[in-house]
Amino acid sequence: MDFVSNLALGFSVALTPFNLFMAVCGVVMGILIGALPGVGPPSGVALLLPLTFGMEPTSGIIMLAALYAGTMYGGTITSVLINTPGESASVVTCIDGYQMALQGRAGPALGIAAFGSFIAGTFGVVLLMLVSPLLARWSLSFGPPETFALMLVGLTTVTLLTGESAIKGYISMLLGLMLAVVGFDIVSGEPRFAFGIPEMMDGIDFLPVAIGLFGLGEVLAGAEEAKGPSIPHGRYGLRDVMPSARDWVRSRWAIARGTVLGFFIGVLPGAGPTVSTFLSYAVEKKVSKHPEEFGKGAIEGVAGPESANNAAATGAMVPMLTLGIPGSATTAIMLGGLMMWGLRPGPLLFEKNPQFVWGLIASQYIANAMLLVLSTAFIPLFVRALRVPYAILMPIIVIFCVTGAYSLKNSVFDVGQMLVFGVLGYAMKKLGYSPAALVLALVLGPLAERALRQSLIISDSGIGIFFMRPIAATLTVAALLAVVVPAVRAIAAALRRWREARGG
Amino acid sequence: MRGADRFAGAGLLALGVAFAAGALKQYDYWGPNGPGPAFLPFWLGLAMAVLATALLIGAIRAADAGDAWLPRGEGLRRLLLVLGSTTALVLLLDVLGMVVATLLFLLVLFRGIDRQPWTLSVAVAVAIAGLNFLVFTYWLRVPMPVGPLGF
Repeated sequence: MDFVSNLALGFSVALTPFNLFMAVCGVVMGILIGALPGVGPPSGVALLLPLTFGMEPTSGIIMLAALYAGTMYGGTITSVLINTPGESASVVTCIDGYQMALQGRAGPALGIAAFGSFIAGTFGVVLLMLVSPLLARWSLSFGPPETFALMLVGLTTVTLLTGESAIKGYISMLLGLMLAVVGFDIVSGEPRFAFGIPEMMDGIDFLPVAIGLFGLGEVLAGAEEAKGPSIPHGRYGLRDVMPSARDWVRSRWAIARGTVLGFFIGVLPGAGPTVSTFLSYAVEKKVSKHPEEFGKGAIEGVAGPESANNAAATGAMVPMLTLGIPGSATTAIMLGGLMMWGLRPGPLLFEKNPQFVWGLIASQYIANAMLLVLSTAFIPLFVRALRVPYAILMPIIVIFCVTGAYSLKNSVFDVGQMLVFGVLGYAMKKLGYSPAALVLALVLGPLAERALRQSLIISDSGIGIFFMRPIAATLTVAALLAVVVPAVRAIAAALRRWREARGG
Repeated sequence: MRGADRFAGAGLLALGVAFAAGALKQYDYWGPNGPGPAFLPFWLGLAMAVLATALLIGAIRAADAGDAWLPRGEGLRRLLLVLGSTTALVLLLDVLGMVVATLLFLLVLFRGIDRQPWTLSVAVAVAIAGLNFLVFTYWLRVPMPVGPLGF
């Protein structure tokens, strides 16, 4: 494995002026999108995916990956300044970040988040570079049963981790799988559940669905309270955001732990940046010598989770690129993009499209460096962008949703579909369902169905094939546990309540 | 949320049953050499029916009505305004063309949500509608719907 020549190839791709420009655009738009309350990484990637259709796939993914990194940081800005997480991976940052802002230390909070993100992102890329080829080579031996079992793990874990209630999480996933079934059957060629509508015979495209659920759905949820947030006045110049030596001493191990933890959580299918931030916060509070300061402006409580979410965003690329299994809603949308560009993610991607994979990896280094420069030098600018009234921003986002959905196939039908899923996304969000699980299932559905049917065709023992091959069996059992454990727990809790009700 | 859960549970139960039954009725469960087109849909429908039943039972037995999930008053007005204008925008795309439809949509919402000043509203609406059209038409080469005026 020749890392140096691969990386050299990668940098030669990433450093072309156009790709560099795309990375800058991605980071800047990412920070802005992340900073807008309610518009998170999945909506950002879904809205900008149509812009990449005219480009080389490599330039497209470079922009989207830079955007993803940018949104991770953008969410931090609102968490610290207005106590409103721009996206779910920054929820934890609110706890101590906003307390720091109240104490007049918003600058160092944003600064340590930027440096932590940079360090974590950079080490994350190194780990990505080392782990992916190994994983890709390992997964070359996968047959349909292993692939299906792996997808099962991805589907069950994302459901487990995103929804408020396990039942609603699984319902969301099933809705996604049902939508994935619509259209021509891969084996027999029959159009299923198309109801004679020509647009539905080719299946339901994930892009209008994703734009609707995340973009329009979030706008509708935000429409109820269209009040602009108020930002505490403070100084956000370059000197004000530099963390002091004491801040560094307190944060350095938090950043290191957050990086490692975040990356490996990110690699797990299903567990994304958000989970890593909660774990990192819990770990920091546990190992801290002064846990009582957490919740009152402890800088470790910002540094650890913020490092973890960037490392996890990088780690999430690993299963997407090597196995073709996205770990989060955002990477599911990127995966859909890869497939639209005609690339088949999975072990062969590294052999067939080295300039794509290594260009992406190299551009991640560059994006991280740019993120550091932009985020420290231009914080005042982003703070100003936050002052744009939501009543102006919201209608503009709707226009992006409409044009984005339209541009996929130049079809007004797709726009209507986007609108329907926007309403569904609003209801799902309000009622505690998981749009992320739906999108993930919609993207994985056709691949999972093919793997399932191929497995059953080659099997002599029906579904026994998923339990007889060692790798498939391990993965299947893990997926089943993810379903069974919460179910048993829920039943036990219901029984206990019932007994209490009878006894009391 | 209890009412919404009951409603959703009943609807999803019907969906699951209809999906499984429809799959079995219209397509083959087992083909000549393996599972047919109805195989996965049948099990998906069945699983949905089971989960929806669980949701329904939980919602029927729940003692606490929970919080209302739909907004009231000003919030509801804003929600309906945004939803209504977006629906109108989608329906009018082919009739008025992208530029005119977006322009009207933006003006209605800028003025309707929060009464932004007229000059600001018009300036932002014209800039966004124009930019959106130009970027997609000329850079990305997506033919936008055009109205009777040719744009």
